[in-house]
Amino acid sequence: MLAIDVKDLRKQFKVQKNREGLSGALKDLFKREYNEVTAVKDISFQIPQGEICGYIGENGAGKSTTIKMLTGILVPTAGHIKVNGYVPYKDREQFVGGIGVVFGQRSQLWWDIGVIESFQLLRKVYRVSEADFRKRLDNLVERLQLGDLLNRPVRKLSLGQRMRCELVASLLHNPSILFLDEPTIGLDIVVKTEIRDFLLEMNREHGTTILLTTHDLQDIEALCSRVIMLDDGRIIYDGGLDDLKSRWSKGREIQFQFAGHTPLAKLQQLTEELAVTWSLENDVTAKMWLPHEVNVSDALSKVVAGTEIRDIKIFETNTDDIVRSIYSSGSAEVSKETSGQ
Amino acid sequence: MRYAELFWEYLKNYAKTRLTYRADFWIEVLSDLLFQGMNLIFILIVFQHTPSLGGWSEAEVVFVYGFFMIPFGIFSTFFSIWNFSERYIVKGEMDRVLTRPAHNLYQVLLENVDPPSLIGSFVGAVIMVICWTQLGLPFHVMDIVMLLVFVIGAVLIYAGLYTALSALSFYSDAPTGIVPLMYNIQNYGRYPVNIYNKMIRFVLTWLLPFAFVGVIPASYFLEQKADDLSRLAWFTPIMGIIVFGLGLAFWNNGVKRYRGAGS
Repeated sequence: MLAIDVKDLRKQFKVQKNREGLSGALKDLFKREYNEVTAVKDISFQIPQGEICGYIGENGAGKSTTIKMLTGILVPTAGHIKVNGYVPYKDREQFVGGIGVVFGQRSQLWWDIGVIESFQLLRKVYRVSEADFRKRLDNLVERLQLGDLLNRPVRKLSLGQRMRCELVASLLHNPSILFLDEPTIGLDIVVKTEIRDFLLEMNREHGTTILLTTHDLQDIEALCSRVIMLDDGRIIYDGGLDDLKSRWSKGREIQFQFAGHTPLAKLQQLTEELAVTWSLENDVTAKMWLPHEVNVSDALSKVVAGTEIRDIKIFETNTDDIVRSIYSSGSAEVSKETSGQ
Repeated sequence: MRYAELFWEYLKNYAKTRLTYRADFWIEVLSDLLFQGMNLIFILIVFQHTPSLGGWSEAEVVFVYGFFMIPFGIFSTFFSIWNFSERYIVKGEMDRVLTRPAHNLYQVLLENVDPPSLIGSFVGAVIMVICWTQLGLPFHVMDIVMLLVFVIGAVLIYAGLYTALSALSFYSDAPTGIVPLMYNIQNYGRYPVNIYNKMIRFVLTWLLPFAFVGVIPASYFLEQKADDLSRLAWFTPIMGIIVFGLGLAFWNNGVKRYRGAGS
């Protein structure tokens, strides 16, 4: 069954145009002009149950707007959405009982009261029975190590502690879909890892579908089997992470450190038959760039045969670089041409 | 039933957070009472210059004011959403409210309950009782029932108008200055409406029916006047249901236009 089914989803905002200067402000007072801004442009995607899907894109690409439509906060301008079998904005009150939402930048908990009191209140709001609540809370508290935090007021928690509490708060009613909007923003690496492990475990044990937006691509690498990439309101990539990597990373780079001075000409001559390119870093160091078609061991054996080598380093293009280059080109289409070569 | 339970839970949380700041609590009670006291003193000063106002005696006008304080106190307790636009729209806290399974207006109201305002209602009731005896009005058991019906109707009128006002921020970009304006208009409803000209009277009775929160239902208990406002008293609960219904519909429609804030 599909957890999320989105078809031709669009959201337009009317944005007031502010004219410049005092005279502009006066004109605005009497006659306003509006710009139609389309934040999400007819996107379609489907997420089956039990999948962890990363939703990435630059700031302002329309990620949050999509998440807000999926959670029923915003009403779409056009298109169809079905999440968990509901149209989110229509049957909102029933629908939200089956989902969990964490907005990394906004707290769900009550600022002044103890964490446990917030949880108790949420228990009432979500109509969770006392027994279920106890069982789930004990479990979550143990896994996320919240034991001694429960009686502290939220305002006295660190960001990492608060974030773990937010996660618990969003899971108390055992939702089948979890929406996370930048869940690891501003957290240190220990807490990040802890949260990632926890999410993976939950996905494995309960089959919880997770859709998360993030700017941290390590989140994606650690968690997601699938990535949807958004740019300027359109989906520019939808597929596996490995697929994205192999399509976009055009090759690898190998750095050699030689025993003595090795001229560029000699290196180029050694690897004549292969489609590699060389660049000298300094007298004894050179970098060889080789596309995917070229076998690493072939290239290495050629170089090793003709030179004396002190050290070798291989650089794989990482996801950050890939995503950066996709963002800057504004489309993942280019990758098809490259891979087709 | 579930909503009543939720109300109780939120109230407990209110108590936990607010009662820790005891001074703050009492200052609020005191400032509320001072505010009401000033209004009352204004009435007393007016009556130092004239024995009657459009056929209404001092005790009667004070009686009306006492009645007004009861629904107003209840309204202020449950509809303390003056900062709705700032907190929920501009800062985007409505996001959180909308992802929870209870009616969004109800949640917003519960998050802002302000029980100290109820003290105003008690003071109002005391004022009513004092004037009641002073005026030597007859007392029937039915009066209690009618008082309850009128108070509920009046609270609904206020609730509907202010729900609609708060919902305006869903439609308009910036918070508007209309709330203070409304706050001033509502004060006119406490005085006998026949002292105003026809236009204002019509507005206060049928368009912004603040007269139904004060003078009209209160006149039911007083001696009949020439223009017999008390005939209209029966409309109080009906007006309440209509106004609140419209306010709620306007709100629900507004929620659909909510645009969220920031990222």
